[in-house]
Amino acid sequence: MDFTFSEEEEALRDEVQAFIKDNFTEEVLADLTTGKRGRGFGPKAAPIFRKIAERGWNAIVWPKAYGGQGGSRITQFLVEEEFYRAAQVVIGGGGTGTPAVLASGTEAQKQHYVPAAIRREIIFCQGYSEPHCGTDLAGVRCRATRTGEGDDIHYVVNGQKIYTTNAQVATHIFLLVRTDPESRRHAGLSILLVPMDTPGITVRPLLTVQNEPGGPAGTTYGEERTNEVFFDNVKVPASCLLGEEGDGWAVSQRGLNLDRVGAWRYLISVKRDEDIVNWLKSGDERAAPLKDDAAVRDKVAELWIEGQVCRLMTMRSMTIEQRGQAFNYEGAAEKVWAPEHGVRTTEAIGQMLGPHAQLLNGSPDNVQDGLYAHNLLSAFQSTVNHGSVQVMRDQIARKGLGLPKPRK
Amino acid sequence: MDVLPDEQETLIQETAREFFAAESTPALVRAAEKDPSRYSAALWKKIADLGWLGISLPEDCGGQGLPLTYAGLLLEEAGRAIAPVPLHGTLVAALVLARHGSAAQRALLRQVVQGELILSFAVQGLQGAWSPAAEGLTGRAEGEYVVLNGSRTFVDGFRESGHCLVLYQAEGDGVAAALVDTTSAGMRGTDYVTTAKDSQARVDFDNVRVPKSALVGEPARGAAIARDLCDYAAALMTSQLAGATRRDMEFAVEYAGQREAFGQPIGAFQAIQHLCADMLIAVDGAELLVHEALWRLDQGLPASIEVSQAKAFAGDKCIFVARSAQQIHGGIGFMMEFDLQLWYRRIVAWSLRCGSVREHRQQVAAALLEQPGKVRLGMPLVPA
Ligand SMILES: Cc1cc2nc3c(=O)[nH]c(=O)nc-3n(C[C@H](O)[C@H](O)[C@H](O)COP(=O)(O)OP(=O)(O)OC[C@H]3O[C@@H](n4cnc5c(N)ncnc54)[C@H](O)[C@@H]3O)c2cc1C
Ligand SMILES: Cc1cc2nc3c(=O)[nH]c(=O)nc-3n(C[C@H](O)[C@H](O)[C@H](O)COP(=O)(O)OP(=O)(O)OC[C@H]3O[C@@H](n4cnc5c(N)ncnc54)[C@H](O)[C@@H]3O)c2cc1C
Repeated sequence: MDFTFSEEEEALRDEVQAFIKDNFTEEVLADLTTGKRGRGFGPKAAPIFRKIAERGWNAIVWPKAYGGQGGSRITQFLVEEEFYRAAQVVIGGGGTGTPAVLASGTEAQKQHYVPAAIRREIIFCQGYSEPHCGTDLAGVRCRATRTGEGDDIHYVVNGQKIYTTNAQVATHIFLLVRTDPESRRHAGLSILLVPMDTPGITVRPLLTVQNEPGGPAGTTYGEERTNEVFFDNVKVPASCLLGEEGDGWAVSQRGLNLDRVGAWRYLISVKRDEDIVNWLKSGDERAAPLKDDAAVRDKVAELWIEGQVCRLMTMRSMTIEQRGQAFNYEGAAEKVWAPEHGVRTTEAIGQMLGPHAQLLNGSPDNVQDGLYAHNLLSAFQSTVNHGSVQVMRDQIARKGLGLPKPRK
Repeated sequence: MDVLPDEQETLIQETAREFFAAESTPALVRAAEKDPSRYSAALWKKIADLGWLGISLPEDCGGQGLPLTYAGLLLEEAGRAIAPVPLHGTLVAALVLARHGSAAQRALLRQVVQGELILSFAVQGLQGAWSPAAEGLTGRAEGEYVVLNGSRTFVDGFRESGHCLVLYQAEGDGVAAALVDTTSAGMRGTDYVTTAKDSQARVDFDNVRVPKSALVGEPARGAAIARDLCDYAAALMTSQLAGATRRDMEFAVEYAGQREAFGQPIGAFQAIQHLCADMLIAVDGAELLVHEALWRLDQGLPASIEVSQAKAFAGDKCIFVARSAQQIHGGIGFMMEFDLQLWYRRIVAWSLRCGSVREHRQQVAAALLEQPGKVRLGMPLVPA
């Protein structure tokens, strides 16, 4: 067992913090915040991402052959944590697209997508959920029909996706489709990497409860919009198929371990623990009596300790990844514990602040620009997306503990 | 950063698990509860023969010199099998003596490693407060002696221990520690009857004359010694508690896979599955926290807050797990002839020993709120 980062990693942390201090000016932070809220990154943000990519910081863990550093998962985590803390931006190319391309792509696909994703010339959005199915993704209906011959073999996609975050800024959609019309459930699905500028794709915004007013910087669950994406006879070259046709379920699972865990999930779940302690110590006159209240102190300590468990579970997931092992139930456990902790903290803070916890950004008398009110609006979101806590518990019980499936 | 046991740690853990499974059977545990000594001398001898009593003691004291995380894993496994042996008290006192004791006291550790000398420790006063402030027992200097008056409570293994590491308030000098011969005149132990049916006792001191050679460390080091004693004790109690709780959870999972109701194993019902998932998360959390605390203690880093975090979490969650295991067992788990209760009763007791949830949270809250500067998870806190 070893519970510290190495000296080299701590030196890198210093370097990253210095970089943030030098580069994250007020203007840049404003651009990053609006970008993070789903309005697209402003002009000040682009050069920052370029500089980060030049330093290799968003691709530490990816293979050298595709423009990465071939480094450690732990180091990657450390760097991602600093950037998320500074401006709630996810700098790792992580997410759904690139790891899956690395896990299942052809050599040509890896060469095409990975270096470009590192340079942020390719940005994926995730096309999984459909209006009638989210948690139970095996019910996907969006259709892709293979036609043509010779050089013109292609798929024609028809259907709809929903809640497609960042579809308005993405260059590509990582699309789960049904390629075999006769198939049911997990069989007959495929993954297509579809350029968003292909004719026949329509993006329609879906505004969230965070839309008006938008949350202040530091809101951890602050997405203001997501999207519906409609596919009307969209012609996609066969070269966009990732993995084998009909193997889409496995392709979507492979390389996606880190979708549910890591710096981003960790920080959205625990940032409040730090914020409330720091606010209680801030000298705000509303904080002073709370700071000495025995019930508040007990609660704050309880939540802080829960936050430590979030951190250690994240470190456990990173350890497993770094050792090159596969998760059994550990990723699912983290995906239950951390989001539910985030909810408990958010709601407990609400009770500590009392009526002030309702006051949104821009309201008179609000606390920290309404940060805590905005988190109250959507902390629970993290318990639904990327595998709801209900199905995550199913996985823990069945895979981790070997409990039987219900008889039908 | 690699927070899971490595190969060597896993090997020791598995070896200990097999040993305790074979040697510390429920029948042995039941027999020890009926024995006035409350422990199995035969099992103690076997543990000593394996060299495990010295697992994390320095080599110059006859130990194996392995990091403290190994002692933690050993206690997890002993706890898993609710082994009726005075392992916790002996290891805690021995670790403090190895670090702070005189040459003569350190020499005693060879007897400890051989299994010939059982140790206990005494921290709490009549209020039961878990604190290194050593309230409730005073020491007055008289020539070459210190005279102790007052009481210590919840001293586990007192009756069988040859020496007891006692915290007291030295007149004018603050907190101090002494290694007291348990046969000293004026020292009287009274057995408690605990939920665990274990060997905790109250110890009253009536003008107990302790030679100055029995004092542990320089007077000025008293507070640091008391801090170490409390940290080792609470951390290793958490290890023992987490080990017992993991086994308890496994009983419930095994039972849920077999017991049928409404035409299927109850473990197929989502309500039971989700409860089991939460039980696993809780045990894992306690284990991760205590591993970090022990690792920091071993590295000589400040660890009191990490210890409090671990004990507060485990104290809260382990009883949730054990109570849920009872729930899953329905009526049978409540019956004396069924073994589950052996674990439940100990988990209740151990979650209350070496500091309650409330007390440990107070330490964490003070470190969070009374120290200047902003806090950040992952950056250690300093005790207030
Ligand atoms: C802001 C936002 C952003 C999102 N971004 C994306 C994105 O970029 N790409 C994308 O593809 N999707 C995205 N989603 C969709 C998200 O992944 C889904 O909302 C999620 O998978 C749940 O699906 P659903 O909304 O259809 O709810 P349902 O699947 O209908 O679930 C409803 C409830 O039923 C419960 N439930 C389902 N099955 C079981 C079961 N077996 N046992 C017990 N309970 C069960 C669920 O846990 C949940 O509580 C986003 C959602 C939101 C709100
Ligand atoms: C002290 C004591 C006194 C008692 N006195 C009497 C008495 O006088 N007369 C008498 O007849 N009985 C008596 N009982 C028995 C008591 O009613 C049973 O223990 C109780 O009905 C549970 O049944 P069980 O023990 O067989 O557990 P089980 O029925 O096997 O249940 C085990 C667990 O499975 C869960 N479970 C079962 N089905 C489902 C499901 N569909 N979904 C989710 N979870 C499920 C249960 O909630 C429980 O947690 C007594 C029990 C005790 C402990």
